[in-house]
Amino acid sequence: MNTAPHPDDPKHIASCLICQANARQEAGELGINLYRVWSGIAADVWSPEVGRLESWSRKLLRSPGLARALVTTPSLFLSWIGASAFVVLIGIIATRSSGTPWAHILAPIVAAAGIAYAYGPAIDPAFELSRSMAISDRMILIVRALAVFGLNTAFGMVASLLASAATGLTLSWLAPMTAVAALALAVASITQSPAIGVTVAIAVWSVVVLISQASTGDAGSAIGAALVPVYLVATICCAAIVLYVTSGRQEKRTTWG
Amino acid sequence: MGVNGNGARRVTIEGLWQRFGKQEALAGIDLDVGRGVFGLLGPNGAGKTTLLRTLATTIEPTEGALRLLGFDPHNPRERRELRRHLGYLPQALGFYPNFTVFEFVEYFALLKEMPVDSVRPAVASAIERVGLGEQATKKLKTLSGGMLRRVGIAQAIVNDPDLLLLDEPTAGLDPEQRVSFRAMLREHGSHAIVIVSTHLIEDVAAACNDVGLLEAGKLVFRGTPAELIDRGGGDDAGDSPLERGYTRVLQEARA
Repeated sequence: MNTAPHPDDPKHIASCLICQANARQEAGELGINLYRVWSGIAADVWSPEVGRLESWSRKLLRSPGLARALVTTPSLFLSWIGASAFVVLIGIIATRSSGTPWAHILAPIVAAAGIAYAYGPAIDPAFELSRSMAISDRMILIVRALAVFGLNTAFGMVASLLASAATGLTLSWLAPMTAVAALALAVASITQSPAIGVTVAIAVWSVVVLISQASTGDAGSAIGAALVPVYLVATICCAAIVLYVTSGRQEKRTTWG
Repeated sequence: MGVNGNGARRVTIEGLWQRFGKQEALAGIDLDVGRGVFGLLGPNGAGKTTLLRTLATTIEPTEGALRLLGFDPHNPRERRELRRHLGYLPQALGFYPNFTVFEFVEYFALLKEMPVDSVRPAVASAIERVGLGEQATKKLKTLSGGMLRRVGIAQAIVNDPDLLLLDEPTAGLDPEQRVSFRAMLREHGSHAIVIVSTHLIEDVAAACNDVGLLEAGKLVFRGTPAELIDRGGGDDAGDSPLERGYTRVLQEARA
């Protein structure tokens, strides 16, 4: 029999049969609902602390469920963010050394990959279950996509500042980045495959850059102001497709939303 | 836990059809289920999973009317409210390998929009109820198949649902776990509607007070386990009276 003192600590009680038995005996005498007490102790011991980012997200979104869905976005994990930052950094170095805005040409690809891998049946192993939840899969998709897009916009801003010596300070990269990211999301939503979404988005963006290079002699013209209306129309069309596909109207087998 | 108006404690299905292309998964199901444990039996491909997915609001009916706990799932607002009162264990439930048991169950409790203060005690309670207290802080990738199934059951019951839908819940559970699971089913069925799809006749015999048998998308039997037993005869195939009744009803439906 263990005769060592027993600290009044939830972690100790959770693993100590003697303390649990003592608590049961004392609670029986006092008429306490032991199961409720134990659930409270177990919850304290087993549950991880809510992180600062999740706490902020809860306040911002006014939904603990959406906040948790947001902080568990695969393409917002540190490893993914690190990889994205690395690609943007390479782009900045290439921009400063060549004068061609490679950072901004690469930005749409990074954003497209992040958004396509934010949510969906191919990303979420429990997607079937997620579709039966009060917080709809469509809402999760929107929140995650916006967060990833916001992060990539921040990357683009930093790239713009750091590469401004070579290209001048510009925001024109934002339009193609939005369009290519929306295209990736639309294709990923239709095919239910983020890989196909990213592949199609990269292919289309590559064609645009190559055509720009061939027609003007400058690949950077792909992010020029002349094409902004085209990108805006493409963005609107892709957003409409995403909303339609995730609304449940497309076919009877899709989610109710 | 509140539910919605008249018929609040019932699942009512009228003329339900589910077609996937040319395939008819459900062909005109009419069903009314109240409090208790309803066992859904049938061979592979009979439509059990499609029916449960429809009730879980993950697929929309091709045709027919549904009223679940008094809510109309076609109405987005009512569907959201319904889902707060729903517990669902899909047949093939994927897991997030790096989540702990607690984190996984808590995640779905939050997505069910449970009151935030009650989430953690409810999660702890659900984990205890499925006997996974000692594994609560372990990552899902370290658990056995039977333990993962129990994690799935824990997330289904975490919100003490008024409508609990379980698709093959005992697959992967050992006999001892099945016995305690059936007790949990009976206990939950005493105050809620539980619909459980299973291939295991003994689950039905032990836990269900009501049985439906699906064959080729049609409900070919509805009654108590005792009534299903009465349908069988000594010369029907099966190792138990219930199995013989099951076999007889299927043969008659196919004739």
